[in-house]
Amino acid sequence: MAILDRSASPEDINSVVEAWLDQHWDSEKRCAKGEDSYDEKAWLTKVFEAGFCVPSWPTEYYGLGLSQKQSGIIEKAFAKRKAQGSARDRFHLGAITVFKVGSEELKRAMLPVMLTGPICCLLYSEPNAGSDLAGVRTKAIPDGDDFIITGQKIWTSNAQEAEYGMLLTRTDWDVPKHRGITFFLFPMKQDGVEVKPINQITGESEFNEVFITEARVPASHIIGNLNEGWTSFQTAIAYERLIMGQGITERRGKSKADSEPQLITLARKYEKYDDPTVRQKIAQALAYRELNGLNMQRAKQEIMTNGSSSLMSLGKLAMSRVQHGEAAIATDLLGNAALLDGDDYPDAVNINFDAAKAYMNSIGGGTDQIQKNIIAERVLNLPKEPDLDRDVAFRDVKSS
Amino acid sequence: MSQISDEDRQALRDGFSRYLEAEADQEKLRAGIASDRGYDNSIWQQMAEMGLLGIAISEDFDGVGGGATDVALVMEEVGRKLVPVPFASTCVVAAEMIARFVPDPIKQDLLQKIAAGQLTVSIGGTGDFVSLSDDGHSLSAELSGDSWVMNGQVSFVSHAGVADYHLLGLKEDGVDSAYLVTASDAVSAERLSTNDPAQRLFTLNFSDAEAIKLEDMDAEGINQVRMRGVAAVAAEQAGATRAIFDITMEYLRTRYQFGRPIGSFQAIKHMAADLLVEVESGTSAALAAAKALDSGSSSAEKFVSLAAFTCKDAFRTVSAQAIQMHGGIAYTEEHIAHLYWRRARAGLSLFGSSDEHREHYLKSREAA
Ligand SMILES: Cc1cc2nc3c(=O)[nH]c(=O)nc-3n(C[C@H](O)[C@H](O)[C@H](O)COP(=O)(O)OP(=O)(O)OC[C@H]3O[C@@H](n4cnc5c(N)ncnc54)[C@H](O)[C@@H]3O)c2cc1C
Repeated sequence: MAILDRSASPEDINSVVEAWLDQHWDSEKRCAKGEDSYDEKAWLTKVFEAGFCVPSWPTEYYGLGLSQKQSGIIEKAFAKRKAQGSARDRFHLGAITVFKVGSEELKRAMLPVMLTGPICCLLYSEPNAGSDLAGVRTKAIPDGDDFIITGQKIWTSNAQEAEYGMLLTRTDWDVPKHRGITFFLFPMKQDGVEVKPINQITGESEFNEVFITEARVPASHIIGNLNEGWTSFQTAIAYERLIMGQGITERRGKSKADSEPQLITLARKYEKYDDPTVRQKIAQALAYRELNGLNMQRAKQEIMTNGSSSLMSLGKLAMSRVQHGEAAIATDLLGNAALLDGDDYPDAVNINFDAAKAYMNSIGGGTDQIQKNIIAERVLNLPKEPDLDRDVAFRDVKSS
Repeated sequence: MSQISDEDRQALRDGFSRYLEAEADQEKLRAGIASDRGYDNSIWQQMAEMGLLGIAISEDFDGVGGGATDVALVMEEVGRKLVPVPFASTCVVAAEMIARFVPDPIKQDLLQKIAAGQLTVSIGGTGDFVSLSDDGHSLSAELSGDSWVMNGQVSFVSHAGVADYHLLGLKEDGVDSAYLVTASDAVSAERLSTNDPAQRLFTLNFSDAEAIKLEDMDAEGINQVRMRGVAAVAAEQAGATRAIFDITMEYLRTRYQFGRPIGSFQAIKHMAADLLVEVESGTSAALAAAKALDSGSSSAEKFVSLAAFTCKDAFRTVSAQAIQMHGGIAYTEEHIAHLYWRRARAGLSLFGSSDEHREHYLKSREAA
């Protein structure tokens, strides 16, 4: 069997992964070979031990030291068989953040646990700190080797399943808001953490209220340094926005290039595909999606040659136009049929879901307006707006 | 495929960009536009010197043997500075047509002279390779003895006043034919007045002008020429879009109102962020089209159309918003913004409208 390293050819990688999956994964039963049902922890542990969870990370950090391109081959092979666990170096925000900015101790202690468990939830937003996240009020008070946490988070996706959450807290109230924040890797399964699901406009209940009352987190779980949480948080949020720009929030691989786009299928089905106005709208919508893909390809190229790319910050904003735009066209294509709901009307169900879900991209992870502020200030170097609370101790900042 | 290495390509681009930065300022641009030729001939000659005029011409004919990507890089730089040179017509469309459909030794002679900056070719009539089609032309070519003669009139021919040759397309019953006519007493050129002062359009009159008929014109070959012309213009627009955007961003950082730079106002910032998406999409689309042409990809058709409407629309939107973001200063003739805006509008119908390209894009996605 070929050894997987930077010099391995795409064919070699593919054949090694395929062979491994043949040996360990039962595609029919969708679980590990020889088992009767899917045991997530056991399966993820197998994938983790083979290095396939985070193939682009170095071998001393549980990876294989492969390039992004090589890693993509592994991801594809897993996806083909609907096996979980690969590409966690692209999608596991918690593990990625700890890997990038966590202490050596935290990495060693927690990465194996995180990579073989459910993804982390993001305990950022609060009722009074949304776009203005640096205004969080959840308290963290030192107590021996621990911190004691009290406060309320909201809109926390996947909080029910999560074993850990990345938590933004206030640790110093006497300095301006950005300077008194500490970022923790917080254990969710403990007394003092109450999770209440919220019903969403999509009909799902992915996000939740999280009430935290005198719960505990070890000081060793600080991500980065005490009171410097805003800096380490930037890594996490930048990554989240990055993958949203690639369409991660969308239903069923809509970004895939190889199948007929849903808009064309719908237009044919509802006999509007010959209408020149409809064709113009569909062409433009497909173009926006393709252009975003081309921009992201250029970004990757720039990152490979220069180490960074300002193009990356455009993806999420562009994706909002793509998703809201496609949903609007699809709604028009259905006409009256879009008014219906229920199992007998799958097209209506799907497109009405998409129309609602598009807001996840344009609100979640920072609204489009906040994204535009960021692009204008950080990419285009336009001057910041005067902040009324920038140099004021957080204790004295006005709030609603 | 391009014969130029990545390093050489970058060096070529950097050299040309530095040259234009130094030599193609607004004053020179305006002087060029006001001149007989319509552009600064010293820039054209320098481009010959740098090997740029022969970039799409084979090394066998003193060219550089570059591909569509190389053309795109030149065009982006040309677009940035709005230099109104007849590069796309002479060095892309005419050079490609001559290389494909003109027999030796005429071919060799013409291509060598194009690469050396010794002759320009204007393009008119109808047919897919013609950037500004004139459906109302009255051109007719007839065989007289051994040679062809051209009669009639055609309008919307760019840079025809100083061109040494005119390449004329005649599409009849869906069949393309093309003729090459030397500038002579048998051809008269009358300048049309245009909305964009940098756009030089002419009406040409032919009376028994001697013509060379292009041979063995196949649909696939003509389509290749068309796509290369479209991709070149798209790259020019992408470069111009970025330039007027950069000019505008600089203004936003330096113009003060209400005691703060206007770029600190959120209404302005949000416009700027939205426009950046258009700017980058234009660049990406133009590059993707050129790459697809160079690799001979079956998606070339799709990417070329995508680039065509994306770059036209981006240039139109960004140059229009640039005027708005500048305020009154950009409403003056003196300010450069309107020259970008006019160029954007002049480009809307080159090689077909955005709507036509959107339709074509959809069709070629179905075909793929
Ligand atoms: C589907 C979904 C999932 C989410 N998941 C999570 C999660 O897992 N974890 C988590 O912590 N949060 C999550 N969020 C919360 C999300 O990050 C916030 O909703 C978002 O940042 C906006 O905050 P807000 O809702 O308080 O709105 P507000 O900040 O009150 O904004 C209201 C409006 O004001 C505008 N606005 C605010 N400030 C400015 C400004 N400076 N300039 C211009 N306009 C401004 C906004 O753009 C918006 O239009 C999720 C949200 C959604 C929709």
